[in-house]
Amino acid sequence: MNNGEILIEGKNEPEDLPVGDEVPVMNPHAQVCLQHLLRVWLGFERDLSTVPILRRLDLGTYTVEDHRLLLLNLRQQVIEGSRWITRTASSFDRNHAEIRSTVIAHAVDEHRDYEILEQDYVASGGRLEDILGLERNVGSEALHGFLMYRASRTNPVDLLGAMWIIEGLGEKMARSWAERIHELTGLGEDSTKFMTYHGHNDGDHMQRFYKTLDEVCVDEKITMSIVKTAQVVARLYRLQLEELKHDLN
Amino acid sequence: MSVYITSTGAFLPGPPIPRNEVEHILGMVNGQPSSLRVQIQQANQIDTRHYAIDANQKTTHSNTEMASNAAEQCLDRAFIPREKVGMLAVASTQGDLPAPGMASMVQASLGLPAIEILTTHGICSSSMMAIKATWNSLRVGDHEAAMVVSSELSSRLLKKQRYEAATESTFAAKRIDFNTEFLRWMLSDGAGALLLQNTPAPKGFSLRIDWVRGFSHAHALPTCMSVGSAGRPDDERTWQDYETYADAERAGALLLRQEVRLLDNIIRMGVDGYLRLVQEGVSKPAEIDHFLCHYSSHHFRSKILDMLDAAGVGIPEERWWTNLYTRGNTGAASLFIMIDEFLRTDEVTIKEGDCILCFVPESGRFNTTYMQLTVVKK
Repeated sequence: MNNGEILIEGKNEPEDLPVGDEVPVMNPHAQVCLQHLLRVWLGFERDLSTVPILRRLDLGTYTVEDHRLLLLNLRQQVIEGSRWITRTASSFDRNHAEIRSTVIAHAVDEHRDYEILEQDYVASGGRLEDILGLERNVGSEALHGFLMYRASRTNPVDLLGAMWIIEGLGEKMARSWAERIHELTGLGEDSTKFMTYHGHNDGDHMQRFYKTLDEVCVDEKITMSIVKTAQVVARLYRLQLEELKHDLN
Repeated sequence: MSVYITSTGAFLPGPPIPRNEVEHILGMVNGQPSSLRVQIQQANQIDTRHYAIDANQKTTHSNTEMASNAAEQCLDRAFIPREKVGMLAVASTQGDLPAPGMASMVQASLGLPAIEILTTHGICSSSMMAIKATWNSLRVGDHEAAMVVSSELSSRLLKKQRYEAATESTFAAKRIDFNTEFLRWMLSDGAGALLLQNTPAPKGFSLRIDWVRGFSHAHALPTCMSVGSAGRPDDERTWQDYETYADAERAGALLLRQEVRLLDNIIRMGVDGYLRLVQEGVSKPAEIDHFLCHYSSHHFRSKILDMLDAAGVGIPEERWWTNLYTRGNTGAASLFIMIDEFLRTDEVTIKEGDCILCFVPESGRFNTTYMQLTVVKK
């Protein structure tokens, strides 16, 4: 049973947690930024519960058809994901070599993710040509457009806010969606590989994120630009998940 | 005008019941021991708790009696005569009578003449609702003194007969129904009382109420803890929609349920509310000396606490204090029972000026409530 973050299985220490003394000491601006980012994330996560298809996950009425629809719509954004990440990397100048390396590594990690998603779709009973042929939905257009626009600006450190939301969602899919989907639909693990794949290496991601935040978030202006971008990405990501029906019609 | 908690009282019925005797009190459903009890008890780590029912599941104390006993103790310890009490607020998940409000019954039991009353209904956070309304009544000068009582008698919902009668419920249909059993091994009975006054007590410590805030997320999140529906996604009826109450009981609509899968939302929303208060400058993490939390820290042992540390707003574990492990999880009554013992325990040194943050999250439909107190001396 997936017990979320409440350890009702009686474990004493979850394995994946950094122990107290590994908690990084960040500069005060980065700390304030993280406080804001946490709230943006928590609000995003809460509001995802109002998205009809995800509401069905909560209420227990999610079906195989819902799952195919979700994958179909996620893929169009995921396939563009590598573009804005690589564009972001190329927009950093020589004074930002460190963060550029981090972003490049990230892009390498994820730029073929959409292929896993396509396999999941087929394993869920969908036809490959359907998922290959679908256009971006209204929300995906807005999200992609915004990310490419921000990524094209010089030294787009605010996109840390975008990574915060998208990484967080990847982890949430692994933590609370995948198993629930199996439980409700009877689909096997080969239908949620994209979701579970994103739960791995999470501890490393967080440490890398803290380090980058500490390096780039050095004044109030940068703090607020990171937070603002996180807010916009959160809203547009939710829009993408709300606009699923639109594309089918 | 400042308002102070000047006296407290608590009542826990019967002897403390250790983990392995809990099922002797609540009873084995259809004569079979529960396969989930040990696992759930290990997770909640509650060692002893109290019940207002005996081993034959007969009620030993009504909810009104428990509330009155806590209130009487609080009044006995007060420096003012009971005639000064102008208002009584009572919080509970379920009074003895569905109507009238429980405050009427407690008032009658205490014999407080012609006072203003308030009954708050909810689950755990109904205690905070009661304290906030009472605090405001004193702040605007309507009263000089008021009692706030919270009391819970959940064992009546958890006794074996409730489950045995639910013959057509999810509980009867499934081999293991985690959502229906979860709270059976979690909740227990008790009552707490606080006296609020517009001046500190003449002797000893009083607790000034600095602020009380709450954030409810029912607009976005589904119901997580409830009584009154059969717990099936395709059945929207609530208990009074059945032809007879017996039908509702058979369908399991009178069983207490927790959607365990949704529970971590309460931690997330709890952290969100805390961060909001920090951002508004209402709560200053560095100034918090004691953190009284309705959940114990091991429930929160998750990445989100590490993130709070990284963000510079974590509350060190040595400042957390709870008596949940020995007094049980008594729902709405927990915080008041906690404050009562906190003021008397030798485990913590309390000094003038200490700042106490209280946190009561309610998983019902995700209401998170917070109160800050400051220790003062006249």
